Amino acid sequence: MIPGTFFKRALRDLKQNLFTHLMTTGVVAFSCLLFVIFGLFSFNLQQFVEKFGRELAVVVYLKKDVSQEKIPSLYKRINALDGVESVEFISSEDAYRELQAFLKDEKEILEGVDPLFLPPSFQVEINRAVFNIDKVKKIAEIMSQWPEVAKVQYGQEWVDRLEAISQVTRNIVIIAGVLLLLTATFVVSNTIKLTVYARQEEIEIMRLVGATNGFIQGPFLIEAFFQGFIGASFAILVSWLLYRYLAESVSATPLLKDMDLHFLPMEYVGGVLAVSTLFCVLGTYIALRRFLKS
Amino acid sequence: MISIEQPIIQMQGVEKVYGGYSPALKGVDLEISKGEFVFLTGPSGSGKSTLLKLLFCAERPTGGSIVVDDMDLSTLSGSQIPYLRRKVGVIFQDFKLLPNYTVFDNVALSLEVLGLTRKQVEKRVTAIIESVGLLEKINRLAVQLSGGEQQRVAIARAVVNRPPIILADEPTGNLDRARTTEVVELMNELNARGTTIIFATHDETLFTNTHRRVLTLREGILERDQKG
Ligand SMILES: Nc1ncnc2c1ncn2[C@@H]1O[C@H](COP(=O)(O)OP(=O)(O)OP(=O)(O)O)[C@@H](O)[C@H]1O
Ligand SMILES: [Mg+2]
Repeated sequence: MIPGTFFKRALRDLKQNLFTHLMTTGVVAFSCLLFVIFGLFSFNLQQFVEKFGRELAVVVYLKKDVSQEKIPSLYKRINALDGVESVEFISSEDAYRELQAFLKDEKEILEGVDPLFLPPSFQVEINRAVFNIDKVKKIAEIMSQWPEVAKVQYGQEWVDRLEAISQVTRNIVIIAGVLLLLTATFVVSNTIKLTVYARQEEIEIMRLVGATNGFIQGPFLIEAFFQGFIGASFAILVSWLLYRYLAESVSATPLLKDMDLHFLPMEYVGGVLAVSTLFCVLGTYIALRRFLKS
Repeated sequence: MISIEQPIIQMQGVEKVYGGYSPALKGVDLEISKGEFVFLTGPSGSGKSTLLKLLFCAERPTGGSIVVDDMDLSTLSGSQIPYLRRKVGVIFQDFKLLPNYTVFDNVALSLEVLGLTRKQVEKRVTAIIESVGLLEKINRLAVQLSGGEQQRVAIARAVVNRPPIILADEPTGNLDRARTTEVVELMNELNARGTTIIFATHDETLFTNTHRRVLTLREGILERDQKG
């Protein structure tokens, strides 16, 4: 087979059936666009939750009766835990001073209060590279079982709540994605069938003059490849422009300034391109296969 | 000259029934040698087109056996059909041209399926279109041609890949006397170069004064086989 003839035929066909091809590409682009936008939303939410979680420090409050001599060994034990980046000891006096500084002009409130009324604590920072919520939970759990520890705090309600939201949206995205994929399969395979039917006569005549199935399929598959690829590229371009627009609006809004948006990672973009292309080529192949058998 | 006649087409007890109707062909026994020029005649509906269709697997027989150039059509798999069709050039009664392809592209199709290069295709297609007198219309769309012109494009497409067998189904049906003579001349020429030809026609004047073999069908039965 000569690829040149295939491309020439594909091109000629593209010109003759421009509308059908534009329609198929449009359907592909639309499906991909919805999928990418859902993905963008879910991905950013996940990023946000992770960033938020990362900025939370784990605070370990000690019982008041813990003697000073035990502090260095506790320090070492915490530091030795898997995933701990750094540990800082905050004595009762340090905590009192911090409180004073925080209260500034109103520090009279603290008058007559025992400077040791606050419990000593460790401020634990988790290694960012290994950060995940489950790990933090595990570390917190281990430490809370030590007899010297009164309480471990890491803003778990917030983390749990955000986690739950992120989980739900991720599930919605997955379900929506599957539904979308099914609808897209239906629509795209029907558009492909229409294209094939529209060219029934042409296929029939090619067969009569001795064309093999491969020869007939070639241009169709080339067209499908470009439909899938161009459709997905278009969707990615549009969603990228949308992302740029949103990112600019967000950074221009003082309240949301810290919430930096991310575009989808390259693997996701590549995945959408690959799946879309593969999908169109495979769909066309199956539609033709059925057609050529009869 | 070939002294031992090698059969290129063999039919034995061939029967064709189109679902539910009375048979279009009944018990046809036929042998055609390599290089023969055979006319196939008979009234409308007698089964001429059906017989030709069986020879390039456009239809499958409901009984009997057919061998074409050593290919047993009763056991021929779907994937082998294209290779049979490359050996059999067919001029269809209804032309079967692609209306939105140019004259050139219609004819070129026969060669493109063989995987020939662009250059080879161009040279051979141009030559054959010139020989059927359509060179000045080579870039016209098939739909823009008259019936007779379309018929000549159909002929060009059937012969351009120089198949060993040509099946012509009423190839002169839409042509005037002069054009008819030209087509018959073209067939004679091809036959002189060794091509086996089956020429289906109503027009008795085409074979009455030749010494060609004439097969006559009537209601699906091979009624007469007049050796030339
Ligand atoms: N696809 C088909 N389905 C059902 N019956 C068919 C089909 N094709 C042909 N026939 C029938 O088979 C018989 C033979 O038809 P065929 O086309 O072979 O005749 P023919 O000799 O070529 O006629 P003509 O000279 O008019 O072209 C006719 O009775 C026709 O009605
Ligand atoms: Mg007929």
